[in-house]
Amino acid sequence: MPTELVMTHEAVPGFFGRLIDEGPVMGPRERARQPGFHHFDWLDSADDLVLEYQTTTIPPKKAFFPPRDVLFEFDLTDPPEFRAVRDATPFTLVGVHPCDLEGLRLLDDAYAQEPAEACWPANRARARIIGVDCTPDEYCFCTSVGSCHSRAACDLFLTPIERGRLVEVLTGAGEEMLRVSDVTEASDEDHAQAQQWRDDKEAAVTAGLDASPAEFADLLATGDFTDIWHEISSRCYSCGSCNTTCPTCFCFDINDEFDLGLTGGRRVRTWDSCQLAEFALVAGGHNFRRLRWQRVKHRWHRKFDYLYREFGTPYCTGCGRCSRACTADINIVDVSNQIIEAARQGVQG
Amino acid sequence: MIEHDNVSPAEDITRSYQPELARVIGKWQMTELMVLLRLQTESGENLEHEPGQFLQVSLPGYGEAPISFCSSPTQTDSFELCVQAVGNLSEAMHDLRPGDFVGVRGPYGHGFPIAEMEGRDILIVAGGIGIAPLRSLINYIADRRSDFGRGIVVYGARTPSDRLFLDDVAAWDARADLETYFSVDEPDDTWTGMTGVVTVPLRGVEIDPDRTTAAVVGPPVMYRYVAMELLAKDMREDDILFSLERRFKCGMGKCGHCQLNDLYVCQDGPVFRYTQLLGRSEAIEVWAPEEQKG
Repeated sequence: MPTELVMTHEAVPGFFGRLIDEGPVMGPRERARQPGFHHFDWLDSADDLVLEYQTTTIPPKKAFFPPRDVLFEFDLTDPPEFRAVRDATPFTLVGVHPCDLEGLRLLDDAYAQEPAEACWPANRARARIIGVDCTPDEYCFCTSVGSCHSRAACDLFLTPIERGRLVEVLTGAGEEMLRVSDVTEASDEDHAQAQQWRDDKEAAVTAGLDASPAEFADLLATGDFTDIWHEISSRCYSCGSCNTTCPTCFCFDINDEFDLGLTGGRRVRTWDSCQLAEFALVAGGHNFRRLRWQRVKHRWHRKFDYLYREFGTPYCTGCGRCSRACTADINIVDVSNQIIEAARQGVQG
Repeated sequence: MIEHDNVSPAEDITRSYQPELARVIGKWQMTELMVLLRLQTESGENLEHEPGQFLQVSLPGYGEAPISFCSSPTQTDSFELCVQAVGNLSEAMHDLRPGDFVGVRGPYGHGFPIAEMEGRDILIVAGGIGIAPLRSLINYIADRRSDFGRGIVVYGARTPSDRLFLDDVAAWDARADLETYFSVDEPDDTWTGMTGVVTVPLRGVEIDPDRTTAAVVGPPVMYRYVAMELLAKDMREDDILFSLERRFKCGMGKCGHCQLNDLYVCQDGPVFRYTQLLGRSEAIEVWAPEEQKG
């Protein structure tokens, strides 16, 4: 069991203020023009940090896998020169919900799979992470995918209690972040309150999958749900919002950009989406997933079947972002349960 | 730096996106759309590829694309790539001249399983530009002739003027220890060989199905018909090797573009056994119709 301490309400601003003084800190803050909505961004002061917030639109994976990432720069000299431009500045990512911590762990596994790519681990090694517990809404289904109480990837984890936060110290780096003045010993009452928070949270999750991840993977793999895919895809606009908001999606595109002077430029990696029509297009015009239903089906299989089999856990953290973002109101829980029900009744496409 | 258990920063060129330099040392225009480039890494290091593997090739500003090696690994001082002008990058590569540079990273993927193919009869079936990656294998077999049983090359092109590697083709044809079968779909006055798609000459090839491994590369539409012919010759599904094309952006099984059901073509392939593709719905275009099996 990790060390558990208490950071009082009074000590919280000082603690985060000191982290911000030490170096860049990214965390949830209110959007400038959208009061009540929060996003992960660099914090200017501890006042910017909002520790109790509803799930952000874009998950914190962007701290390590930015939507637009310069892989290297080049000069069009003879021979051409390639120049690494990786930012090595250490930073701290704070205020990460358990489902998003789990998302980071899943991307650790995906990017570390042989042959491991170099960018993700280099960026992960730059950061300390502080998790916080959360209050679920009607889209959350973390209890179905095992991420509800995740402490993955973080160095400290904070749970609200009456006199402040219970602080779980999970790594040596977490221990180093704390000063004696920040924390006090936790009492039995503090532990009990934190446990009550966790119990209440779990009880507040109302959405859920009607099968375990293992069973759902088997149902997907053995069944043919073409009719369901056709129905879902008849509503889908192939906009890719489900992918861009997903904490476990890691597909990308790579393109070159010229400088205006045409003497150099950069190779840029950008988020990509398997729902976009051209995602599986090859030179010569053949598209291996030309039809929308094939792309919708692919997304479900990738999240709950292919990657589940590869890594032993679904590539879904139950955060509900794809359902919140979907302009066609395609809900990941509803569709999954529709498939589960059809499979169990033997009603397949 | 903070240590995380399952995160291991890697400096290896095949794990990074930044290419190394290679210099063009030879260029041959093979057809209107196809150019053959001979290259050397600027470091002088041999890339040590296997036949069937591919390289990510860049022209800064134009981008990067996967291109199969078309030279044999037995050619150690340089390597060759065959480039079809189909887009901005490949068209710019047609303008390269000896002395010019490209960026390369790789090799990537699983090529042909040479160790398992040794001692067996090798039936090579090439359609169109599929001859490019297979040239690497054919020349490897030609250079290590005693390591293999029969060497059979079946090569179909659309027209006589689309045929590639004419010097190699003539050399294979002249060797007593290689059996060659050539066809074109649309013959002209100069053509004296067989007429028809690649399955036409393939049908006439007699093989010992227990001793034969088939290596097949061609356009997507070709695989199903070649599978039917090979199964009709009683070949085992496990002994049929198909190399597939997808859009590889990273080559490391990360970018997602080449995913075929649960497989990444760039890492698990591009060379697959027919049996690997049979159970996978996104490879359905290569499946022989059910009645053709066994």
